[in-house]
Amino acid sequence: MDPQSQVDISKLSETDKKELNQILSNEAQKSNIQQTVHHLNDVCWKKCATGKISSSTLDRAEEACAQNCVERWMDTNLSILKHLDALRGGH
Amino acid sequence: MSFFGSSSAAPAKPAEDVKSAIVRQLQQEAAMANARALIGKINEHCFDACIPAPGSTLSSKESTCLSSCMEKYIAMWNVTSRTYIARVGQESKRLGGQDAAAFAAMATGSPEGSAGGLS
Repeated sequence: MDPQSQVDISKLSETDKKELNQILSNEAQKSNIQQTVHHLNDVCWKKCATGKISSSTLDRAEEACAQNCVERWMDTNLSILKHLDALRGGH
Repeated sequence: MSFFGSSSAAPAKPAEDVKSAIVRQLQQEAAMANARALIGKINEHCFDACIPAPGSTLSSKESTCLSSCMEKYIAMWNVTSRTYIARVGQESKRLGGQDAAAFAAMATGSPEGSAGGLS
């Protein structure tokens, strides 16, 4: 890429490296969350934004639907994990 | 700050600036990736919703629909993000996780900002 954006990491002190590591894993976590939200919104849009698009804002029903959609998706996720755990524990 | 990152603006830097340069570039690229993902989804869903039968030109009705759809999608993205982050924070608190504080901090933080930054 752009040679000007190349930076010399060897000049960093140990503390800087540690801090950078922390920032990096925070960013990775943030990015993970964002990706999940993209996926969730994809799913919930299909379920909640049915019908014609007549306004640029969410109406009350759509907003409630989106919130329920996320909550139930999480419930599903947790329920599956729980069941899987029970299955595994059965052996 | 621009989404289409002007890395050329970065001058040669002394050692201690290296860290902030890395962080800045990292955040820029993350924001860019997030925006790209959002745009892709909007394109997909709003094309579905607004252009049921593609004609030879984009009608003004379709164009209005696309604008509304885009704003609506972003509005829902923000609701989804808020709800998801709140729920994950709740769950990790329930499990006594130490991540709870981090999630709570994020709930007020960037995910909304990155979507809002598009408008």
